[in-house]
Amino acid sequence: MAILEAKNLTFSYPDGDRCALEDISFAVNPGEFVLLLGPSGSGKSTLLRLFKREIAPHGRREGEILFRGKPLERTDKMLAAKKIGFVFQDPENQIVMDHVLDELVFGLENMGMETDEMRKRVAEMAHFFGIHPLLDKEIHHLSGGQKQLINLASVLLMGPDVLLLDEPTAQLDPVATKDFLHIIKRMNEEFGLTVLLAEHRLDEVFPLADRVLFLERGKLLLDEPPKRALCRMEKREEKAVRAFLPAVPRLFLEFFPDPDPEDLPLSVKEGKRRLGQYTVGAAAPEKEDSGKKDKERPLLEVKAAEFRYGKDERKVLDRLSLTVFEGELLAIVGANGTGKSTLLKAMAGLLPVQRGRIFYRGKKLARPQPEEIAYLPQNPKLLFIRDTIGGELAAVAGRFRIEAGKERAEELAEFFRIRHVMDRHPYDVSGGELQKAALAALLLPSPRLLLLDEPTKGMDPEMKREFADLLKALRKEGTTVVLVTHDIEFAAGCATRCAMMFAGRIAAASPTEQFFKGNSFYTTAISRLTRNSHVPEVISIGEARKKWTIP
Amino acid sequence: MADGFRALHPFVAFLYYVFAFTAIMICQHPFFLFFSGLILTAVNLVLDRGRTLKGWGALFALFTLSLLLLTPLFNHRGSVILFYVFQNPVTLEAVLQGAMNGLTLFSLLALFSTFHLVIDGRKFLFLFSKWLPKWALLAMLAVRFVPLFKRRLDEIGMVQRGRGMGIAAGPLRQRMKHGMFLTQILLTWSLEDGIQTADSMLARGYGLGKRSKYTPYSFRPGDFAAIVFLLALSAATVAGWYLGDGLLTLFPGLEPVLLYGREWVFFSFFALLIGFPLIAEGKEAAAWRYWRRKI
Repeated sequence: MAILEAKNLTFSYPDGDRCALEDISFAVNPGEFVLLLGPSGSGKSTLLRLFKREIAPHGRREGEILFRGKPLERTDKMLAAKKIGFVFQDPENQIVMDHVLDELVFGLENMGMETDEMRKRVAEMAHFFGIHPLLDKEIHHLSGGQKQLINLASVLLMGPDVLLLDEPTAQLDPVATKDFLHIIKRMNEEFGLTVLLAEHRLDEVFPLADRVLFLERGKLLLDEPPKRALCRMEKREEKAVRAFLPAVPRLFLEFFPDPDPEDLPLSVKEGKRRLGQYTVGAAAPEKEDSGKKDKERPLLEVKAAEFRYGKDERKVLDRLSLTVFEGELLAIVGANGTGKSTLLKAMAGLLPVQRGRIFYRGKKLARPQPEEIAYLPQNPKLLFIRDTIGGELAAVAGRFRIEAGKERAEELAEFFRIRHVMDRHPYDVSGGELQKAALAALLLPSPRLLLLDEPTKGMDPEMKREFADLLKALRKEGTTVVLVTHDIEFAAGCATRCAMMFAGRIAAASPTEQFFKGNSFYTTAISRLTRNSHVPEVISIGEARKKWTIP
Repeated sequence: MADGFRALHPFVAFLYYVFAFTAIMICQHPFFLFFSGLILTAVNLVLDRGRTLKGWGALFALFTLSLLLLTPLFNHRGSVILFYVFQNPVTLEAVLQGAMNGLTLFSLLALFSTFHLVIDGRKFLFLFSKWLPKWALLAMLAVRFVPLFKRRLDEIGMVQRGRGMGIAAGPLRQRMKHGMFLTQILLTWSLEDGIQTADSMLARGYGLGKRSKYTPYSFRPGDFAAIVFLLALSAATVAGWYLGDGLLTLFPGLEPVLLYGREWVFFSFFALLIGFPLIAEGKEAAAWRYWRRKI
């Protein structure tokens, strides 16, 4: 018997003009790992929340939701709360208490459990997760990945049979993401926990799933095993669907079409094996139009900068030197805690460095210069003061006394395609739209340098692709862009130059292609796939299109 | 987990603070108070190497000294006149009174500067959550929000400074306006995030039934012994105060400042009570040494 089932489920929000979910039917069997895909706003969160009664959205619902064959509304409340667990996207906001242990037992206390039983369960769970060194800590000292693990552990302590996860790794770095998904996989395999996971990070999750559901605009487009789903997705016309294909299977589907679905490789290992069967020729190298460009002029120079947050703390920037050239799109990559964000703040003039100097166009940079250097924080909400996006743009135009500010704002809204949200509150739009609106506000005073901190956090693949195109267009118009990211695939797709940060310094910096070909671990999946093989080495599908010829 | 005094049940530690406070307040005798100040300084040194005390040191000294010096200048009661200041008599009684006031204040400040080291937020809430469970949870949430808001406000301030909305420079009116905007962002942002926190609480079954409370602390034999010890010494100290042995009689006739006879007995009870943390810590250290010698 299915553990969770939706029967002709239709749902619309009170103020919505269209259905958030339309006639959805599927069943999840005990022990299944189901992956829920779909662009932002396709109804994934709504669907997941409808399965969790305590946080089900208000609105008009038709059709049935069954938990173990019984309508969810008629299941005992406490039982439903215990047996259906839910993990949210933001690691910080789900946390209620300020100590790890208190947070872990929060759900158990709600169930009215005795202290001894709680102690036993926490002990077991701490062993399984390896989190015993954290138990006595205050939560805000933990990293995002650790916080998300605590959230997961807190839900699992209640002993759920079904785990619903709403983009749990969207805010995490790649290493933390792997750790998190690994634990989910173990719970699924070793304990038969049923998992329903909504995700955007596809390279990691496809090999884990038993089944893939694809939602688009509230409709269930696909319900298939992963490999078949990928083949079907490739056949779809919509770019939004195709953007969800992970790099490795996508390469195979594009260059060696119509394989037997069962043979489609999902991982680099499977890919290497398959690649041996094909022959690929090298295309004649194109004349690089950039060639020997006119001499690169430095726009911003960081010279031997040092920074630490407190007297006794370690150096976050340690004699760091970096030059940003005019007109380039530089991506700074590196793991969490290597000082990437700090560097960006220093470059924006927001944090004065303690040693060393920062020069902007040959002059010492002493304080923020919003007309020249625009800085996009990790959380773009912080930029908005007014209660509509249009109002914000007008306010910014007023503050910087921009001539013809209104026309310029219109132009930018057009460029970023955010006209339809100009009257909305910044918090009511999707993550991608918010990011674009923030960029529009930043670009209003026409700065020469744009500094972006993790701009792709929480974006779906299609949005990411669109965002990369926007950045390329901005660069063409003469804006220099520096972005900090741990999304290697994104950096490989849009940057002209990449720099790797390690322990407060720039460990390596070179043009993108050279950079990723030179790295052995810190590189794209396609680069790992084609390295040391009989086919010409490439770092992205885009490069393969240029350099490969299929006989 | 800390050993010694801090490892005791929070209730025992709380009891110590109540009793020590009472003892200092009732035993108005310079000899008693001088030693309570000394012992409590030692407690500070043992618990955190005197870091807290050092941080507040200048302020504590200022309070203590001003009481010490100002009391004799304003209080002229007493029969033993030492000298005159601006034709006003300075009496020995008033000097002693000043010393007692100063030492009382110093002892209390030194006592409470250890309070947060021993009874941290969690223990405090644990102590009061028995009687006020709803409020305790609310307090827990609030406790988390204070540093969270501070971190968020710092972040907002920095980002907005980069947008020409600084609050550190410019005309006052403009700075105030900018400050209002920053607070507005903080509130909108926090409310928005608060909804997610509420969802996360509901998702874990909050409000469905009667809540229980995880008790990380349990009573051990040592805790009972400590309670008996503290109760006995406090009772003895109160008895001493009742009999007038813990008090220095100033009026009508001045009693000798140095202790005599029975007073020594009560003084030792008082010192043992105030020095209880030292005993608890010392016992731990001794046990550790003994164990080391055994292997």
